[in-house]
Amino acid sequence: VSARAAAMRLGLALASATAIACGHGTGGADAEPPPPAAVANAPSLYALHPALLDADGRSIGLDVFRGHPVIVSMFYGSCPSACPLLVSNVARVDAELPAEVRAQTRVLLVSFDAVHDTPAALQAVAAAHHLDPARWTLAAAGDDDARELAAALGISYHALPGGGFAHTSVITALDREGRPVARAEGPAADLVPIARALERAAH
Amino acid sequence: MLSLAWILFVAQLVAGPPSRAAEGADALDRMAIVGPGTYRPLFPTSPAEREIAVPAFRLDRMPVTNADYLAFVNRHPEWRRDRVAALFADEHYLDRWQAPDALGPAVDPEQPVVDVSWFAARAYCAARGLRLPTEAQWELAAAASATKADASGDAAWKAMLLELETRPMPAKLPRVGQTPPNYWGVRDLHGLVWEWVLDFDAAALAAGDGSDVLQFCGASARASGDKTDFVAFQRFALRSALRARYTTHDLGFRCAGPGPGGTS
Repeated sequence: VSARAAAMRLGLALASATAIACGHGTGGADAEPPPPAAVANAPSLYALHPALLDADGRSIGLDVFRGHPVIVSMFYGSCPSACPLLVSNVARVDAELPAEVRAQTRVLLVSFDAVHDTPAALQAVAAAHHLDPARWTLAAAGDDDARELAAALGISYHALPGGGFAHTSVITALDREGRPVARAEGPAADLVPIARALERAAH
Repeated sequence: MLSLAWILFVAQLVAGPPSRAAEGADALDRMAIVGPGTYRPLFPTSPAEREIAVPAFRLDRMPVTNADYLAFVNRHPEWRRDRVAALFADEHYLDRWQAPDALGPAVDPEQPVVDVSWFAARAYCAARGLRLPTEAQWELAAAASATKADASGDAAWKAMLLELETRPMPAKLPRVGQTPPNYWGVRDLHGLVWEWVLDFDAAALAAGDGSDVLQFCGASARASGDKTDFVAFQRFALRSALRARYTTHDLGFRCAGPGPGGTS
């Protein structure tokens, strides 16, 4: 009944699915055209209220860094390759920011594996990557909250039957009010738009 | 080093959300027991998921209607179209209704509610102490004909589905419950509206390893799900094109809950 209207509204759904399936799967949809770096008039993420538990065992809100430019992404701590690469990518963007922008910028990495990513496990990730605890916060969210945050960030993840997760790697820059102002998808995404957006948000 | 806060946090996750006193008493007359059964995805996320065992679960017999959703919006005004956070729904959310709190003469209370986002559908189900069905649950329910739990091998059934999906769209969306119940006692899974599932974005991950990419792109005959099932492929394609805040005129939802054994 409704097939044609949906297809027209949603554009080339079929072609898009093909592109994704023939792309690099968990690595992000490299075969797709890159998503726009800046999301025009994107609504604030701070309408979401996930229950997050940070590496110090404290309950924090998603808006813990309201008032700062923020880099936000999602990962899981026992991830063998994609997540260390994701953390390294975020660390690289952060390190290359002008000093006065970096001083204002905060980083929030949220795990969708709350069962394994205990505060101690999150501390181990932070230590392994030498993350500055004053500006970086690692936290975990339960499945229901994590799924909602992931949906808002356009991140897909899926628990695998043998343990671990399939997931896309997406880095998002937020302005001081939590509005997404740049987005980079895939392990090899161009991160320059993220840095530029953070600089604009800091000034 | 386990902090008490973490233990409580995980305990809460395991126990699930506190059960809200069901807003609509969800007796079995509104929901049917579906399964247990086996779901074979068209494009498995991993090799271990070519066949997914789905425990028995409860599923709404019919899609959520405009009347149902209006009652929800009246109880939870943060989901009115004039108050909803832009993060949770695009600008077309509920835009066929005459007013934020009124359907108006052009909208039938017994039509399935459409123009709702994934966030909105989730919130509605959560208010009933339920959740959206997973893709595996929805597809398991939808694989049943009137007489068979798994009609995937039934050529006449598949031809009928194809005819149903390619029929011109009626000017006015039909009411829910006009199609016969399937094997599980569930109606309207085909031919009325598309429906949200909890993990709609799993489609984006469905080429998790090299072998699956080859299987799809190389059109290998290695079967995993039924690649000739055009209607199922359409659903896969639609889901992969969705974002959680999108709404469309032909996308509704229904809710699911744990089965008799308490599993979901």
